[in-house]
Parts: sequence; C-alpha cells; structure tokens
Amino acid sequence: MKIKSLHLLLKRQSAIVLLLLFPILVISCKKDEIDPYSTLEDGKSTVIKDLAGDTQASMGGNTPGKENRPFYIFLFRFRDQKQIWIRNAADSAQWLKTKDWDLAFTGPYNSEVFVNNKNYSFNPGYQGEAEGMVLMLEQAYNTVNQAPSDADFNASEANKIGWASSVSSNGWFFYSLNTHIMQAIPDRTYAIRLPDGKYAKLQLVNAYKGNPPAVTDLNWPAPYFTFRYFVQQDGSKNLNTAN
Amino acid sequence: MIRCKLLLLFLFLICTHAFAQSLGSLHGSISDQNGKPLSGATILLEPDRHLTQTDKQGKFLFKDLYKGSYQVKVTMVGFKTFTGKAVIDEGKAAALAIILETGESELEEVEVSGSFEAADNLLKSKRSAMPVTIITRRTIELMGSRRLDEVLKEQTGIAIVNNIGGGARAVGVQIQGFGSEYVMVLIDGQPMTGRNSGNFDLSRISVSNIERIEIIKGASSCLFGSEALGGAINIITRHGAIQQQALASINYGSLNIADATLEAETPFAAQRGSVNLSANYYRSDGFNTNPKYIQSGTTSPPYDNYALQGRSRYRLSKTSTVGLSGRYALRQSFMPKDFGLGNISGDRQDETDLNLSATFDHNFESGLRSMSRYYLTTYSSDMSVAWQGSGSQVSNEVFTQTLHRFEQQFAYAFSNGIKVTSGLGGSLENMNDDALTDAGTLSNAFGYLQGDWGITKKLEAVGGLRYDHTNNYGGKLNPSFGLQYHIRPNLTLKAGAGTGFKTPDFKTRYLVFYNPTANYLVVGNDVLRETLDQLQQQGQISEIRQYLLNQLDQNLQAERSTSLNAGFVWKPRQTVKIEGGVFYHDLRNQINSIQIATGTNNRVIYTYQNLPKAVNKGIDASVVINPLKDLEISGGYQYLIAKDRSVEDSIRKGNWPYGQNIHDPATGNSYAPKPSDYWGIENRSRHMINLRAFYVYRPWDISINARVNYRGKYPFGDRNGNNFIDRYDTFVDGYFLINAAVEKKLMNQHLSIRLTADNLADYIDPLMPGQPGRILLAGLTYRFYKD
Repeated sequence: MKIKSLHLLLKRQSAIVLLLLFPILVISCKKDEIDPYSTLEDGKSTVIKDLAGDTQASMGGNTPGKENRPFYIFLFRFRDQKQIWIRNAADSAQWLKTKDWDLAFTGPYNSEVFVNNKNYSFNPGYQGEAEGMVLMLEQAYNTVNQAPSDADFNASEANKIGWASSVSSNGWFFYSLNTHIMQAIPDRTYAIRLPDGKYAKLQLVNAYKGNPPAVTDLNWPAPYFTFRYFVQQDGSKNLNTAN
Repeated sequence: MIRCKLLLLFLFLICTHAFAQSLGSLHGSISDQNGKPLSGATILLEPDRHLTQTDKQGKFLFKDLYKGSYQVKVTMVGFKTFTGKAVIDEGKAAALAIILETGESELEEVEVSGSFEAADNLLKSKRSAMPVTIITRRTIELMGSRRLDEVLKEQTGIAIVNNIGGGARAVGVQIQGFGSEYVMVLIDGQPMTGRNSGNFDLSRISVSNIERIEIIKGASSCLFGSEALGGAINIITRHGAIQQQALASINYGSLNIADATLEAETPFAAQRGSVNLSANYYRSDGFNTNPKYIQSGTTSPPYDNYALQGRSRYRLSKTSTVGLSGRYALRQSFMPKDFGLGNISGDRQDETDLNLSATFDHNFESGLRSMSRYYLTTYSSDMSVAWQGSGSQVSNEVFTQTLHRFEQQFAYAFSNGIKVTSGLGGSLENMNDDALTDAGTLSNAFGYLQGDWGITKKLEAVGGLRYDHTNNYGGKLNPSFGLQYHIRPNLTLKAGAGTGFKTPDFKTRYLVFYNPTANYLVVGNDVLRETLDQLQQQGQISEIRQYLLNQLDQNLQAERSTSLNAGFVWKPRQTVKIEGGVFYHDLRNQINSIQIATGTNNRVIYTYQNLPKAVNKGIDASVVINPLKDLEISGGYQYLIAKDRSVEDSIRKGNWPYGQNIHDPATGNSYAPKPSDYWGIENRSRHMINLRAFYVYRPWDISINARVNYRGKYPFGDRNGNNFIDRYDTFVDGYFLINAAVEKKLMNQHLSIRLTADNLADYIDPLMPGQPGRILLAGLTYRFYKD
C-alpha cells in the first residue's frame, strides 16, 4: 500500500514537472528586422527617403480638415535633389516648360510620375523645352548595367507612370482592391535619357511613410516617396551601380 | 451514446410511498464501482435545470418536482458523466441508485456529437452532420480567458485573423479555411449582427456568463439558414438556479487589463422560476506590434467594454415555461497611432449591441414539445479615423442594423427511436447606413425538419432539410445527412454532408463607395445601372462594359457551399481517445469585384460578380489521454489546403494581372506562372497544432494547465502584383503561442486565486497587428452560497 502511494506520488510529481517544463520546451525566436533602406544603398545611387507629397489635399467629397482640390504637383530635379511645388499659375509659368526639372509627381497622392518631355500631352512639360525619354525594364534595379539603345528610347511612348492596371501599362505600382494598399512592383526599373543626353536609371520603391516592408494599416501615412536613381555623368550608357 | 446505454444497466428506478400532494420528488444515492458513496457529485435535472450535490453519504434529494420526464446528468471529476432519465409522478417519491464508472474527468471538452439539451432551443447542433466542438464553462475558467476570441483561437483549426483592407478594427474568426463572413455567430441559438467588412469581432463578447460554446465546422445552413455557409459558433449563456448564489470576480494585469464580473442567480416562487443576472466590465490599453514604424499608439485597439446580461425562466404550469433573456453591451474605443509624423491618426469606435428574446415552451399530453421564440437585436457602430493635428477625417462609417425574428419549433420522439424537430419562422432585417443607396428590408421566411434515428444498435443517422425564402434571392433548400456506425464498442466511423448559402450583404448590393486614394469607385449591384446612368448624365463616364452590365445588373447570386466530412473515433484504452477525419468544403458563386466601367480622369469603376469556386480541404485529428486520474493531455492538428479555383483558371488563361512573369528575387530569373505556383488563399495556414495539459492536485485544490498553440506560416498578401499568392509574396512566419494558468481554491472552495499567462514567450510580429505580447494577470473569484 505504501509503495503504491509512493509510486503514485512520484508519477504525480513528474507530471507537475512535465507540466511546468512544457512551455520552456518550445523555443520561439523573433526574426531580426532588416533596415528597409540598407538594401537600397549601393554607394553610387542616390536614395531619396520619405519625400513628402501633397498630404493636405482630398480627392473625395467634403473631407473635414482637408482641402477638396486636386493634389498639387511637385517636380524633382536629379542634379541637386530639389523638390519644386506647383501650387498656382505663377509656379506653373516659372517651372513647367523649363529644363529645370526631371520628374513630375502628379495625380492622386502624387502617384503618377512623368519624365519631363515636351512632346506628350498630359506631360507637365508639354510644349516646353525638355525631351526626356523613359523606358520600362522588367529587371531588378541592380541588374540594369547598361542603358537601352537610342533607337529603343526614340521609339518609346511611355509617358505616365502610375497604377499598372493593364498588360500594356508602364505603371510602377499595383493597387489591391482587397487590402486597398498600393504596392510597388518589384523588378521594374525605369531607364531614362535626360534632355542633356545623359543616361539614368530610376526605381520607385514606396509611397508609404518609412518605406515599410509590408503595410499593415489601411491608414498608413502617404504619400511619402522612397525612390533611388543613378545618373551616369560621363555620358556613357554604363549604369552599373554594383560596388 | 453507447456509453450512456451501458451505464443505464446500473440505473434502478423504484417508486416508493406517497410523498406530497401534487408534486413529486426524486432522491437517491451515488457510488463508485466498489460501492463506496461519492460525495460532491453534481446532479442536474433538465429541462428545469435543478441542480444539487451529494452529501457525505453520497445521497441527494430534489423536492417539489412537477410530474414529467426529466433528464438526469451526474458529473464528478475522475468519473464518466452519467446521463439517464427519471419519471416523476404526482405525489410520489422516485429513487435512483447510480453507480459511476471511473474514467474521463470533467475536463473533457470535445464532445463530437453534442448531446446537450438547450433550455430554449429544440434545434440540435449535431444534426448539421458536421463536426461539433464543445467548450465548457469549466474549461474557459481554467484557461483564464476573458474574451471569446481568446478561447476560440486555441481550438484546432480556428484562427483569429486581421483583415487589413477592412481597417485596423476588422478582425474575424476563420474556421477550417472559411473566413469570418461565412461563419454565423449565435447567442442561445439566435443570430448576432454587426460586422465590419464581413468580419465579426468576437472580442466584443465576454466569456463570463457563458455556459458553453458549440462550434460547428462546415456548412450548416440546414440549421441556421443564410450566413452559416462555412460554420457556426453558438454561445449558450448561463441559466437556471437551484439555490441563491452569487459570484464576484476580478482580474488585473498587463496592458492595464481589468476584467470584473458580478453574477447572481436565484430561484423564486418555490423553484418555479429562476433569474440569472450578470454584469461585466473589461478594459485594455491595447498593444503595439509594430513599434518600429508606429512610434506611439497601438495596433490592437484599447477599449472599455460594459455588458449586462439577464435570463429568467418561469414555469407557468406543469407543461408550460416562459423564458426571457436580454443582453446589452457597449464598447468604446480610441486607438491613436503616431507614424513618426507628430500628427496622430485617431481611430475611434463606439458600438452598442442589444439582444432580447422571449420563449414559450409547452409540452403537450401527446409528448409533442413546442417552443415559440421571438428575438430582436440591434447593433450600431459609429466609427471614424481622423488626423488629430490637422483635424482631417480619413473615414467615417455610421450604421445601425436591426433584426426581428420569430420561430415556432416542434419536437417529437417516436417510439421507434426517431426524434424529430421541425420549425417555421421568419425574419426582417434592416440596415440603416447613410452610405447605402436605398437599402431595402431583407425579409426571410423559413421552414425545416430535422431528426436523428438510432436505426440499429450500431447504426445512427442524423439529418435535416431547411427551406429559406428571401425577398431578393428566392428559395434555397439546404439538406444535411450524417451516419455514425459503431463497428466495435470502442470504434465509431462517421460521415456527414451538408450545404450552405449566403445571400449578398447590404454592402455588395447598395453601397456606392469612392476611394480617393486610388481614384476608384465601387457600386453595389442593386444600384449599378442607376448609378452609372447618373454618372453618364454628369459626363463622368468614358466607357461602360455594356455586356457585363447587362449580365451583372441586379443579378448577383447567393453564395453556395457543400461540406463533406468523414472520420473515426477510437478509444483503444479507457484513458485514450483518438479522433481523425478528412473534410472537404466547396464554395461556389463567391462574390468578388470586377471592373464594369471607366470614368473620365481614368477612374476605374467596379461592381461585384460571382466567381466559379473555392475549395478548402484537409485533415483534422485529435488525441485525448488521461495518464492519471487528474491529468489530461490533449492535442489537435489540422492540415488545410484553401484555394480559389478562379485564380487557377486565370493563371491558365493568362488573364491580366495573373499571367505576368514571376521574378525570382534571388536569381533575377523570371518565368511564366503555372497553376501550381499558386500557394493558396491569404491568411490560411497549412498546419495548425495545439497541445495542452490540465492537471488537478486535489490535496491542495490546485489546478495547473499549460497550452501551446502553433500556427504554421501563412500568406499575408501579394507582393509582386500578380494578384495571387506565390512563394515570393509576403508571408507571416509560423509561430508558437504558449499559455499557462494556475488556480488555487481556498475557504472550502468559496475563494479561488488565479494566475494567468498568455503568450509567455512574448512573440510578436508586425504582420499580426492583433496579437499582443506577453500578458500576465492575477485574479480572484469569490462565490457566495450556503454550504
């Protein structure tokens, strides 16, 4: 009788010990988060982080606290990373028809990007001075080592770079109707021939604040643009940015 | 079932001398197999829910019982539950001598065919022919869970999922791959309303005052009609009282979580009536799973929740009982977020929930039982998101949903072993939302017949047939049929089939929604043509896909499903129970968006269409072992494949954007997609495992438990823009959640002290906004009753 109860007690104790150890037996780890910008830096390209677009405008009806007006266009100049706002007719007259800008961020949430070109209607630089050409390459940015041929540039009809909503679209992002979140398309790089004949490449990376690897909130602040580009200053077609 | 029949051999029913004038009584004794009296066994009499415990001599007594047939249920830890019948005659004292067999303790929670009888509902969950999981009050108490979502996410095959597209508050339950929009939530068999983009947030519901939870996995429209397309969760609240008692409970700990409950129950009018009242307050600070990007504020909402619940029953005569129940809940929440801008986005929601029901239960001389049920519920939500600094509002949604429902049920047991329930009823539902264009009333009429039949000693059948007629979507017939075959006393084979349907919700029919972020418009099907006509007159349309318009205009079909399951229950030993099975759910006419027109200014205009089908299939297994009398170890596993067939079709046909080349980021190579590149539907894990151990050390009145839940990796969202999940998309890593709780009872079981730990390893992931880190809580419960 005594032996039996001792045996039972031991069994009980081992059960308690097992129970206490149970949680510890399972090891869980958290993965280290990678800095979302470090993968963009290659030592040669210029990385623009969180460039604020027009966060005050509202496209919809009466949204309290926001102005119900189209989004202001802003221009961007590769040379000195200057952001130029077009808020009124005077700004338009001063800037749009000049060669003093390379990119224009237009449309809803400044998500529709143009390369300064005088020949295409809807291009903010229409009937101006610049003749920048752009080509979409379905290639990762770091693998684009050579600019396309001038013939290819001359034949390009790419103008607006926005929502990639069809096969023929040159767009840089998708918009999901399920999650209502815009997502840059990986492995899309834009080769550019600037008005002065220099070649460049451009990757539009993100429109959300902080360049998060995944947007987990419907109301994550936007537009805050992260993009990177490289302009070959020697005039050659060499766009290699590898170290 | 077999178990009960075996035990019936030990039941002796002896009628003795006259006892009282018009009422009868029941007394008896309870002992173990060696004839030793058992004290502290609980005896429950249904349908009146009389409750008592045996004294030190193992004896019990119920006085003043009305004439009739009662169901007797005896439970005691360490013994198998006994169920049997007792017939009480006027002026007579009936006696029972019950012998309990040692076996599974009361912690057993997974009853595959739920054999419980509800007091105010004659519908039986097992007749859905789908697997039914039952979670008892005691299990919930031991787990130390506070909200319904916390209990459910520890069950095999169930996940709580954030729906990013529905906003930071859209959280729902997923059962065997079915999303929350396909799972009906009921309280005492009556549907609850109030969804956010199809998601029913179960954290709205406190688990205090819940008697048990029934979870039906699979199509169960044969029981509940529209919405129960993929499954149902039925919450049964506490009711009935044999003696006055009350309870006060408080838990407090991490995140300033406070959970306070007051409960009281009393019989009145000499046991003819009973009242149960409960009040609960709950608050939480919320939690931030993404502090790197969200510098202050939370990703899971902080809130204050107040709930009041009451239930009363009164026996009018020997054969009639009336019941009333009500629930009111109010939740207020303000969830700020600072993304490092200094300007804080504030997400606010106030919601109220009211559920009222009245029942009339009548037993006819012929043995026919009738149950008349009326139910009213209203849910209202006022939700908005605004930037605090600039005062600019991002979104605002206010709605009130009201449902009236009446149902007349009949139950009858034939002498040949066939038991049937039939019913007729109707409901009216309204949605009051400024965003909806001329939303009408949804009216529904239904009738059903369901039953179970012990064909032979070895073969049992369950089945049902329900017809629903809705004003917009016509008639829908939903059958269910299941068989159980007891090959040997310890081995049972089961198979079942059922169907489900869901009528399109108010949003897909009447909502006209413009999203300025992406410059698109979504138009509900019922208002499609008129909205497009209006836009065209305003010169806002550049192209309409006329053939689609003709096809889709006011022609959205109800979604349909078919569920099949087959499995076994095997008890190789007294202390071991193994269950396994396969399931296959087929979902047709799934509703999805499609482009219908293009506006000027390149605006895309969408509406809704039905897509061919989706499939959830998999394996489900569970094991329960009792190596010691007071130790139970159990485990569950689910393997799931959930795929949308229309995605595979689109890949095959090369439709935009599905047909785009897939880039392998590692090599830079790209290739044309094949249907096999499709991983499956978002948020579905292939593997889910849970393990748990419950132990009671009686000399010290201490209960300890530890639970480990594993959820395998699952897709978060499309990364490369081809609109389907392939292996290069964003996935949430597989993870373990470890929970444990200790409870000690003191002062002759009046007082219990609890320590609860959830997510002990403090696992968090920014991709899971709703899963907080480690939570430690301490709690006290005091029960007031006469010893």
